Amino acid sequence: MQARPSRRISRRQFVGGGLAAGAVLAAGRIAAAQTPRATIKMMQVSHAYSNGLNAQLSEFERKTGIKVEIDLMSFPVLNQRADLELASGSGAYDVIQMIFIRSGRWIRAGWAEPLNPFLAKDKDVDVSDFVGGAVAPFRRGETIYALPWLADSTVAGYRADILDKAGYAKPPDTFESLQDMAAKIHTRETAGFVTQDNLHWIWPNWLISYGGSFFAHAPDDLTPRFDTPEAMKTAEMFTTLLAKYSPPGGAKLNSAVVHAIMHQGKAAYYLDGFGNVQRIIDTTKTQLADRMAFANTPSGPKGHFPQLAVHGYLINRASKKKEAAWEFIRWAIGKETMLKNALEHGHMACTRSWVLNHPEVKKKFTWRGSDMPALHEAVMKRAGDGYMAFRTIPQFPPIGDRVIIALTAIASGQTSVADGMKALQKDAESLLRKEGAPMKG
Amino acid sequence: MWSSRRGGPRRALARVLYPAAVGGLLLVVLFPVLWLVLFSLRTELESFRMPPRLFVAPTLQNYIDLWQSKFLRAFENSAVTASTTTVLSLLLGVPAAYALSRAGFRSERLLSLWVLATRMAPPIAFGIPFFLIYKELDLIDTRLGLVVIYLSFNLSLVIWMMRAFFDGLPRSLEEAAYLDGAGVLGAFMRVTLPLCAPGLATTAIFCFLLSWNDFFYSLILTRSDALTAPVAIVNFMNYESWEYGKISAGATLIMLPVVAFSLAVRRYLIRGLTAGAVKG
Repeated sequence: MQARPSRRISRRQFVGGGLAAGAVLAAGRIAAAQTPRATIKMMQVSHAYSNGLNAQLSEFERKTGIKVEIDLMSFPVLNQRADLELASGSGAYDVIQMIFIRSGRWIRAGWAEPLNPFLAKDKDVDVSDFVGGAVAPFRRGETIYALPWLADSTVAGYRADILDKAGYAKPPDTFESLQDMAAKIHTRETAGFVTQDNLHWIWPNWLISYGGSFFAHAPDDLTPRFDTPEAMKTAEMFTTLLAKYSPPGGAKLNSAVVHAIMHQGKAAYYLDGFGNVQRIIDTTKTQLADRMAFANTPSGPKGHFPQLAVHGYLINRASKKKEAAWEFIRWAIGKETMLKNALEHGHMACTRSWVLNHPEVKKKFTWRGSDMPALHEAVMKRAGDGYMAFRTIPQFPPIGDRVIIALTAIASGQTSVADGMKALQKDAESLLRKEGAPMKG
Repeated sequence: MWSSRRGGPRRALARVLYPAAVGGLLLVVLFPVLWLVLFSLRTELESFRMPPRLFVAPTLQNYIDLWQSKFLRAFENSAVTASTTTVLSLLLGVPAAYALSRAGFRSERLLSLWVLATRMAPPIAFGIPFFLIYKELDLIDTRLGLVVIYLSFNLSLVIWMMRAFFDGLPRSLEEAAYLDGAGVLGAFMRVTLPLCAPGLATTAIFCFLLSWNDFFYSLILTRSDALTAPVAIVNFMNYESWEYGKISAGATLIMLPVVAFSLAVRRYLIRGLTAGAVKG
């Protein structure tokens, strides 16, 4: 038998092999570093906050290895898509914007993952830092289903120069005096009052402060209360403002049109969301910014009840990447992320007390002597008392739509206040009965 | 006498009034389009200036912003899905219409009625079933998914419109072609189809428009990859305000292919519409 020749490895082969093995290992490590740990998908409305997240996203992706695809859309599109994606259990989106008025329906249907197990693990989220009214809509008992990034509170904006000229040293602090002021300053060129067409959010400012309510006692007794004397009186006051002292089409002006009206100086007083203030005083769009001032919304005989609309982030129950989704939410509503969004992207309607009281935020958002962050925080605290619970019942979206239809019909003279509100009451009763809502009245 | 009356002052007045009325009407009808285009070429501050200024230095910034956004991808999706649907609808629908027009089988009327089934209810009635089926077939947010949906709606349009054109064409022309040795396909391709070119152009435009302007199905059956331009434009309505500049620039761009296509086949379109109006 012939012995097999021994195969000795030469030094050159050894070095070459070593280099090759090193190169393979290095390539593997690079590839591993470039391959994301997980890719998650998120949908939300186009907003200053989402712009801020997009700008900071690479930092999050680098730190966590989680890639995030953010789908931004308009609010009407989001309403349709979010409902459809959640209802179908597709799991295509891991994180979805929790829409305030849909929260009741989505939580009842079990489409939002409870966040308590994640919160128990990550104490740094500091839920107590969210101002009461901002987290209340997403809490059921002790369970939290979403964390808020936006709390839009109602605020009054006015042209200080016009009010001064008309003899008003300060804006009206009651709805009665608002009515008088609007009548006094209204001209063909400059309307006395303007607001956006989301009337089911604006009218309750009047309704609740006169002792009225949408329902007897939400969420336990949803007997509608649209035909009460308080509802009738406030509907009359509100629609009078829309019909007589607003620009043409007063009940049907969307937020964007309201902004344009204020930019052009076609109205002297407006009532809208706090989150829009930055747009109103955007000097690239108006030459009147330095004449604008802001204040609390007026009060009624029963007190001051500004409205609040909150939006948050939820983890889709059908998501297969819940851990990664949580890591994203934790970062997206984190103190530092929110602070950057406030300072660099003009996000004023923050939900965290720490951010609203930050010296740089105070400095940036104090306008003509008004401490805007303090105004906003006060409204959020008030809303935490529970008077906003009527907006998060599962049946709210269709009821809200009907309120808009009724108030628009009254404001446009198609029906009287009494007939319009009675018809609304009947309609709401019928709808709530069909839905099996609790009605004790 | 008659000729002098025809050339009289009333006639002269009519000569001035009619074009003026037509011009005025055109201005009213086209003003929103003009306003849209002007809006797209101005800054937002300039667009809302009161009183408005007629002549301002135009800016392309809105188009540049659009170019840098995801709108281009949406525009491409619209172009691909609308063109593919138009071509496929014609390829499948025209022979079907020809068969229904010429074959003369017994259940032809019933069959024609069933072809219309997809158009018998508003799109929203089919929305949820399509979404659920597409979810199972993994067709959500795909161009293929949109093409299939648009095809199902456009086919009935092609079949009904083209059938009317074929019905209006004398069979003797095809019979002459048969005598000259042409087969069914040859007669169809060389004689019938060229004579129906105006109808074909009209039908193609309607098919293209239906798919190009669709909002509903794109809204519910796409997410981000296959999103089309009409929905992408709506997404410029931000929560706090609307980006009017981008909306008007996007709308202007959306109009362009349709205007270009319509101008290209204008001659056929007018003949086709007229023919379709008296036959069928």
